[in-house]
Amino acid sequence: MRKAVAVLACVALLSGCGLSAGSSVPLEVKPGSIRPIPQLRDVEITVGSKDFSEQIILGYLAEFALTAAGAKVRDLTNISGSNSQRDALTSGQIDLVWEYTGTSWISYLGNTDAIPDAAAQFEAVRKADLEKNKVVWVNMAPLDNTYAFAMTKQNAQRLGIKTTSDIARLAKENPAEATFCVETEFANRNDGFPGLQQTYGFSVKKENVRTLATGAIYPAMTDSKICNFGEVFTTDGRILALDLAVVEDDKKFFPRYNAALNIRQELFEKHPEIAEVIKPIADRLTNDVMLRLNAQVDVNGKDPADVARNWLVEQGFVTLTGPVVTRG
Amino acid sequence: MTAPTAERGSRRAERIRLYAQPLIVLGIVGVVLAWAFSSDLDDIEKRSINASTILSLTWQHVEITAVVTALVLVVAVPLGVVLTRRWAKPLAPLVLGIANIGQAAPAVGLLVLFFLATGWTGFWVVVLPTALYALLPVLRNTMVGLQQVDPSLVEAGRGIGMSGFSVLRRIEFPLAVPFVLAGLRTALVLAVGVATLAMLVDGGGLGVMIDTGYKLRRTSVLVVGAVLAVALALLVDWLGALAEQLLGPRGLR
Repeated sequence: MRKAVAVLACVALLSGCGLSAGSSVPLEVKPGSIRPIPQLRDVEITVGSKDFSEQIILGYLAEFALTAAGAKVRDLTNISGSNSQRDALTSGQIDLVWEYTGTSWISYLGNTDAIPDAAAQFEAVRKADLEKNKVVWVNMAPLDNTYAFAMTKQNAQRLGIKTTSDIARLAKENPAEATFCVETEFANRNDGFPGLQQTYGFSVKKENVRTLATGAIYPAMTDSKICNFGEVFTTDGRILALDLAVVEDDKKFFPRYNAALNIRQELFEKHPEIAEVIKPIADRLTNDVMLRLNAQVDVNGKDPADVARNWLVEQGFVTLTGPVVTRG
Repeated sequence: MTAPTAERGSRRAERIRLYAQPLIVLGIVGVVLAWAFSSDLDDIEKRSINASTILSLTWQHVEITAVVTALVLVVAVPLGVVLTRRWAKPLAPLVLGIANIGQAAPAVGLLVLFFLATGWTGFWVVVLPTALYALLPVLRNTMVGLQQVDPSLVEAGRGIGMSGFSVLRRIEFPLAVPFVLAGLRTALVLAVGVATLAMLVDGGGLGVMIDTGYKLRRTSVLVVGAVLAVALALLVDWLGALAEQLLGPRGLR
């Protein structure tokens, strides 16, 4: 009996922690082109994110924007693992995250085949996720963090590779040079390596494919030269830092991974203004912008919160001192 | 014998465990596999949950474990013997220090650092760091096992004219075997666990299923990979127990 009480006390303690976790937004911002919105005044919104730089930056962008609009924002970015972040959203521990259309469609909603068109994919995810999980999808950004093969520029020139069709040709003419480094996940999904080979009509021998950790793929391409082609994400800052050439997916095989805002339905219905506040930001988030922001964190070692705020200030969305009021 | 009945009781329990453990493990594996194969699998799940993939990944895992064990035995036991000789004692802290570092470093870091340093991938990049990781328990136990031998027994051996080597071979080592085997059991179970990280450096193994299942949120794949890895650890532990029964000094069995 005493044991049971102790266990219950522990559980209560832990869940208490879970509910009160998160901290305040780390840096101050004042309104810029994002104006305070009366309906959002002091509304409590908890923003989450997954645990990699791009997600953390995106999370801070939303936090600063909503703070500038007057909301009372709590910071729960950097949740380890996509699945934990997803569970946090569906269970109501966080209210708002940036999610990728392809991830949700394949991993969370359990589909095996993606929809090639970005808008159609967004629409399909939006519908299914609202129905099944009460998650609202709004503000799809141009940012498409999908898969691609990258290679050193030296190799690109030497082998004459620009598109994935060129890789298919190489795999047929000179199989010894068609060596790949991929992640376990990529090796196993329909929209990963198996499907890619089918679509482009080539096949690679098992011994020419190495399965590595994501971080290990870059040195495997550049330093140890284990493989000529490495699976990367198109907005990874290391592409800029290592000066890699990204191979074009000329048959548009890879799924679309456009970032969009996920909001809990309950909150969205009370405060649809949240979407309006963040829309102009989402519209300006392209792959180039994201690559630069990611590189500032991953390559130059800057803090994600600083990077996010600087960009918002640069774009005029928020200010550091408040807007200059001109009387005329 | 101060408590003969308790002693006998615990031996009986040990014997029951020796028979029951493999049966229970096989039972669990059977149930999980039956559940996985009979459930409705999509393309992604089918790519992982099929007999040939599961068998080849399990086999890779067994291979890694077996070679790690062999390496650890070949390196740690002689090293332990040498380090307990009087002339080599000053070296002991140094070697133990290195083995401690090997174990204290996170296994993930050890594997990936080794990959970055060598530029190799595959089997040996998994086996070598894992062996370093599993070295400590066997080395430590070999040393402790040899040190706990009653010095009067060694004296007696020398007294009847045995050489240093035959004292080691016929008195010290047989008495140390239970300790060595206990260390080996720990090392084996560690090796099975660390081998699930082999997928990070193209080493295959059941970690591939665990990683794929987690990342793509296919619970069946995750569960099959994890349960098989656990089963393997339990079976390996059972083999260790069996070895302890069969190889320990006869008088102490």
